[in-house]
Amino acid sequence: MSPSDALPVRPRDAQLRALLWCAAAFLGGVLLQVDHIPLWATMTACVCTGWSIAVCARRMRVPRRSLKGALALALAAAVAAMFHTLNGLEAGTTLLVAMGSVKLLEAYRRRDRYIVLGVALFLLIAACLSRQSLPFAPLYAAQAWLCCSAMVVAAHPESSLDSRAAAWLAGRSLLVALPLAVLAFLFFPRLSGSLWALPETGAAATGLSDTLAPGGISDLSESADPAFRSWFDGPPPPPAERYWRGPVLHYFDGYTWSRTPSEWVDPTLAASAPIRATPAGVTTAAAPAARLYRYRVTLEPSSNRWWLALDTVVSPPSGAVHMTSDRVLIGARPVTEPITYTAVSDTAGRGLDPLAARRLGRDLQLPPDRNLRSVGLGRRLRSEASSDTAFVRSVLEFFRTGGFRYTLTPPRLGTDSVDEFLFGARRGFCGHFASAFVTLMRAGGVPARVVTGYLGGDWNPIGRYLLIRQSDAHAWAEVWLQGEGWTRVDPTAVVAPERLTRGIQEFLPGAASAPERLLLQMRWITSMRQAWDAANAWWTNEVIGFDTRTQLGLLRRLGITAPSSDQLGWALALCLIGWLAVAGSQLGRLPRPPRPDRLARAYQRLCRKLARVGAPRALDEGPLAYADSIARRRPDLAPTARVLLASYAQLRFGPQSGGATASRLADFERAVARWRVSPRTRSARGSRGTRSAASARG
Amino acid sequence: MRSLVRRKMAAWTLKRQGLDRFPLALARRRLYILPTRAGLGFGLLALGMLIAALNYANSVALLVTCLLGGFALVAMYRCHRNLLALELTACSTSPAFAGQRGILSLTLANRSALARYGVEVDIPETQPATTDLPPRSMRRIELEIPAPRRGLIRIDRLRVSTTHPFGLFRAWTWVHAPLALTVFPRPRGARPVPPYAGPERGHARTKGADEDEWRGLRPFDEGDSPRQIDWKAYARGAPLLVKEYTASGSQRRIFDFDALAGIDTEARLEQLARWIVDTEARGESYGLVLLGARLPAQRGPEHYRRTLTALALYGIASPRAGVTPR
Repeated sequence: MSPSDALPVRPRDAQLRALLWCAAAFLGGVLLQVDHIPLWATMTACVCTGWSIAVCARRMRVPRRSLKGALALALAAAVAAMFHTLNGLEAGTTLLVAMGSVKLLEAYRRRDRYIVLGVALFLLIAACLSRQSLPFAPLYAAQAWLCCSAMVVAAHPESSLDSRAAAWLAGRSLLVALPLAVLAFLFFPRLSGSLWALPETGAAATGLSDTLAPGGISDLSESADPAFRSWFDGPPPPPAERYWRGPVLHYFDGYTWSRTPSEWVDPTLAASAPIRATPAGVTTAAAPAARLYRYRVTLEPSSNRWWLALDTVVSPPSGAVHMTSDRVLIGARPVTEPITYTAVSDTAGRGLDPLAARRLGRDLQLPPDRNLRSVGLGRRLRSEASSDTAFVRSVLEFFRTGGFRYTLTPPRLGTDSVDEFLFGARRGFCGHFASAFVTLMRAGGVPARVVTGYLGGDWNPIGRYLLIRQSDAHAWAEVWLQGEGWTRVDPTAVVAPERLTRGIQEFLPGAASAPERLLLQMRWITSMRQAWDAANAWWTNEVIGFDTRTQLGLLRRLGITAPSSDQLGWALALCLIGWLAVAGSQLGRLPRPPRPDRLARAYQRLCRKLARVGAPRALDEGPLAYADSIARRRPDLAPTARVLLASYAQLRFGPQSGGATASRLADFERAVARWRVSPRTRSARGSRGTRSAASARG
Repeated sequence: MRSLVRRKMAAWTLKRQGLDRFPLALARRRLYILPTRAGLGFGLLALGMLIAALNYANSVALLVTCLLGGFALVAMYRCHRNLLALELTACSTSPAFAGQRGILSLTLANRSALARYGVEVDIPETQPATTDLPPRSMRRIELEIPAPRRGLIRIDRLRVSTTHPFGLFRAWTWVHAPLALTVFPRPRGARPVPPYAGPERGHARTKGADEDEWRGLRPFDEGDSPRQIDWKAYARGAPLLVKEYTASGSQRRIFDFDALAGIDTEARLEQLARWIVDTEARGESYGLVLLGARLPAQRGPEHYRRTLTALALYGIASPRAGVTPR
């Protein structure tokens, strides 16, 4: 519908339209927060929206002030009672939703409508603060668009601009603003610290836990969420070497493996006394040659503090992290935002902890009254073996030939979980095998421990990185071999060697169904998934992870040799000026008016000629009045001017007759073009006119 | 304090822009723009968002904040452009009786291909009148002006403004076109209407009782009704001429200011206005004698207006002297 034939909007319809837009923007904001606020807050928002619409449509009476006040107080009290504070992201968001709902009940004036829209925009920012991942970005853009469109209608509800045109206008404005937004984002100087404390996130995120109880899990529902991504300088390691080290578990109560019980506080594991792995502390044992990999890891947020690194770390990342004696990287804070770090690992190396001997005792611990059959088996196998290495080999042989099967849906086990697994179920996943293996090793007197982490990773050819998912989580064992140090042994690999090379997908329970397997095998679906993940990786690295350091790197790439934060301000100002110039020249200019027709052009030409000799047309003079005024000012020009102007008036306002008019128009154009208007005025004629006439004669 | 600043600003804009003549295109030089209260609120909101985004080192929040900041700048440009090159082609006032509302009408022309929305016209202390202008269109906008007392209401300047599209900025211009709104006396009084006067200058009746007599043509004068203009003659190339008729003699009354003794000036004027309104409504002719000036007996809207204007301006110097356009 073009604006010209738009019906005038009746005031009540206009009110309702503005209210509907504001309510939509507000509910959009609430929707972005729906899993962060209690259900009653969402319900309140919905009820208040319906109520205000009913009031506006004259279906209900306008609520009294006292009622609205009481409602606002009650909602604030409910928020305070629920969160014990009105501060903090979740309590603040809930309060904002509650107050916005009450405000919606009186959003019949422009000012109140703007306040509701302000609340909607603030909810948008709160949503950005709590979730930054790529899938949400389009939602945020849509919400910004919705709010800006609502602003058009809220400002001028009775305008003839219809809703679709308003949305279109707001969308175009946002698109024009986007380049400036990107430039400002790139160059806006960041704060070095924070003005107030970071919000506490109570959300339970997936990630590696610091305990392992294989017997308690009957169905390992694996999530395909990314755990982290890794970019390598050079080719990635082969699949069988992609062991990403997480928490190491030492203590076993017969059922659950855990890191350390409270009475075993090891000073080196405490955050206060980090041990840095110096090159001297690491020997790359008898291995033929070190296979060094330098790589960058971007961790997805989780509630844990583990920083994952390829086994074995040679040079740990710098930053707020320390490495414990069992080579676990522990960050200073839980990973609530994506973090990026660089490390160097040697996949052929083994950690030879110089202090290990003192601590070996704890890696021989076993609960005294549990898993007695397994302990017996371990002792027997050790006594039969000639050396520790042979003992390891015989235990692995036991796994290979004992009829064990790898499955992600094992039966539940009792308190003597290792006994039940080894002599009963014989079905399990990596945790069962690692747990049983370490128990047998310890029973045989060989120090051993369970290492959890991730195994594998999908190579993404688009982004050229390894994607490690939560479902790649793995557990293996390490045994202390005299002279060689801690040596990795993966009993799962013996039972299900394909787990190393083909990834977890093969074993996922869902993958058993034929259609899904087929889906996974289709190449274009795979490449689409990879492209999507590469986009996510780009977003995580380049947008979420964009900070002062990256900014300075950007300046360096722009040719500034020693970039500093001051130059960011200058770059920002330059960008702003450049954008203002470009946008101003586009937005500040009116669309070009249509070109006047031939007759009008000829008339303008005539008027220009006359104006040049000092007889301009006044704006309100028509052609005939203009002829009169020329007759007064320049009688010498009057005869020709009158004829021309009269013929213009005739052509413009007289009767039209096709061909005859066209030929007369051509005549008029020619006459205008040929007429040489004498520039001399009447007064000048007396003095100079004769002289020039004389020279012409001469 | 605030009114002083406002007066100073008004004097400054008048000095800067000079007096205006219609038609008048709104050039960049005369367009002013400032954020509205909503715009300031939006700025505060964006500042709060910026601080939150920087504090939490949250890139997505910062990006959204930058987007909203850029959006505000786009809003500024769009608001300014909504008035740019808009043309004000004519402005006039229609008189009112005291106690009623006078009308100021302003004709706006949008010659560009860009639609203009929410163009507001107001003078201080009035409710603004709003209109939308589709591409290549003209609209007349009528502004109601309260007229409490008889006399002239001087309108020194008009404001043409807009907050379209987002209400975050207001662009405006001042139009300094001195206009006056005539306020007729309130028709009031209970004295009987003076009786019919004799026939004027002995003109004989030649036509029916209700018809007027052709008297002749006279040059156009400002305020004459377009219906009385001899358009045919004008089309032939003659100057603007107005056809004049004389009232038929029998139903002619003369209202004399001096004949109303015993009441004060305003009451006399109100009584005269009452008579004029009633007589005109009955379709009779009437003349007015006011302060020695004599308006011969006639009827019709032009005469009606002329006589009432004479009453309105009684004892008031014409404010138009000196600033007559052109």
